[in-house]
Amino acid sequence: MSALKLKLRAAPPRRIDLAQLVPGKLAGLSVAEIEKLVVAQGADKLVVGDCFAVSGEAGDTIHFEGGSDKFESVGAENAGGLIVVDGHAGANAGRRMKSGRLDILGNAGDYLASNLRGGLIVVGGSAGAHLGGPHSGEKDGMAGGNVVVKGNTGELSGERMRRGSIIVKGSMGRDAGARMMGGTIFGEQGLSAGAGVQMRRGTLIGPTLYPASATFVDCGTHELLILKIMAAYWAKTLEDLAPPPMPAAPRRLMGDMASLGKGEILLTAG
Amino acid sequence: MSEGNETNTAAPITRNGIIIDDTFAEAFGMSGTGIIITADTAKWARQSAVTMTGFGTSVIGCGAECGIDYEVAADKTPDGRPGVRVLIFGFAPNMVEDQLKNRVGQCVLTSPGSACFNGLESSTRISLSGGPRFFGDGWQTARKLGGVRYWRVPVMDGEFVIEDKAGVTTEAVGGGNFLVIGKDRAGVLQTCERAVEAIADVADVITPFPGGVVRSGSKVGSKYGAPASTNQAFCPVLRGAVDSELGPDDKCVLEIVIDGLTSQAVGEAMRAGLKAALEAGPQHGVTRISAGNYGGNLGQHHYHLKDYLP
Repeated sequence: MSALKLKLRAAPPRRIDLAQLVPGKLAGLSVAEIEKLVVAQGADKLVVGDCFAVSGEAGDTIHFEGGSDKFESVGAENAGGLIVVDGHAGANAGRRMKSGRLDILGNAGDYLASNLRGGLIVVGGSAGAHLGGPHSGEKDGMAGGNVVVKGNTGELSGERMRRGSIIVKGSMGRDAGARMMGGTIFGEQGLSAGAGVQMRRGTLIGPTLYPASATFVDCGTHELLILKIMAAYWAKTLEDLAPPPMPAAPRRLMGDMASLGKGEILLTAG
Repeated sequence: MSEGNETNTAAPITRNGIIIDDTFAEAFGMSGTGIIITADTAKWARQSAVTMTGFGTSVIGCGAECGIDYEVAADKTPDGRPGVRVLIFGFAPNMVEDQLKNRVGQCVLTSPGSACFNGLESSTRISLSGGPRFFGDGWQTARKLGGVRYWRVPVMDGEFVIEDKAGVTTEAVGGGNFLVIGKDRAGVLQTCERAVEAIADVADVITPFPGGVVRSGSKVGSKYGAPASTNQAFCPVLRGAVDSELGPDDKCVLEIVIDGLTSQAVGEAMRAGLKAALEAGPQHGVTRISAGNYGGNLGQHHYHLKDYLP
């Protein structure tokens, strides 16, 4: 498997748009051609060669040596292959990605996995607000794929989510799963205030929820077969990144009764 | 079954003292699907499967030909519980889909602790949840995991989980068969039981008739206008009155019918069944093995007995 390496020369002076640096769009380009791709428009235009020392050849893997919160849209619309960022990434990382894998070893900015369609995104650090969420004016959020954040997330993770899974190993900001319509959000350290607000369908999972919303109703503790199927899917897809085993019978809260009310919050600590 | 089996003029083929007719089984192209039924225990998975495959002997009278293919270990099922793989055959995918809707809705959804999953990978797919999920009356919810959609239907013992689609193949074969002929009814039946047990070890096939054995082989048509009627040439009690296919000592003919997802699987089942029947030997009163055909002009698949002998 061939790899393209982009070694960061110095901290970018301003935000640079890396959306075109995905395996599918670089296929067939030489290093010289890649170095000429524009990553920042304007009077002080920047090209790839200004920001990175490029080596290797375009193929299935792109390796950013070094990262920055000014890396905009890294891995956006990726349709296959592996992208690794050895550091932080800025906003819109993995936005509208269709397949493949994006590994960010540091933190990710706002709108990580916005409108994600498929594939896997793994963040070694924390992620900002609106994880998987839609941009202003867009109808839907995340519609497929899997996101694993090993650190914490900001507010409104999974907003207007339709499908896919978000797994957060750390703590989640408020209003996770707001206006959710499907999919699964698993907060391994628990869910915060506003979780599931206005959700219509979908599943939020966590050991605890504090404070619980008055518009979610307690349906008791139940053995849910779908959790076994989900656990098997995560174990196969995420391997060691999969969430920990869930108890046989979590507590099921249904809601948001202020909306359609067919969503659920599953509390694994009872 | 056969209507006017080809006349055999060559020296008879024999194995272990049993004559094998130089003829062939004539089978037909069908559509088939497979599903996995799971439950809390193997007993209840099998109970559900037995119920849904009931009244599934002949596609003409039952709408489908159904049977249990094999039991699935818990570590091989989508939900980690014991399961049973069921096969359903019909003339066309839409016919199989209609049967799934009714049989799963009435016999799997209703069975305590059950769940239902696709059991056949195929690029052509039919609805599996199309009927049962609407039992949820609006409370059903879907969950899509890696391209597979599951439905959760609230029921009185929890949730019924069912996969949205099942694979279907139009390369299936229905009507592989052979006839076991003999002078002792009990012995012929015992021999057929051994053959059916051997066929059960072959994957992707079923023997849809009761216990895998048919005693009412039919010919096409009837003086009363029915699509099928008794095949008098193989009825021992009519031996002196009709153009009989039976010898003077033959008292019983039983047929084993085989449906499979592929022609190869049907062939393997024919081979396994014939081997078991022949190994049982003549001591059970079996004198001859034949096969049912229609002269070779109706069915696309011909299984010549001599090609499947041990």
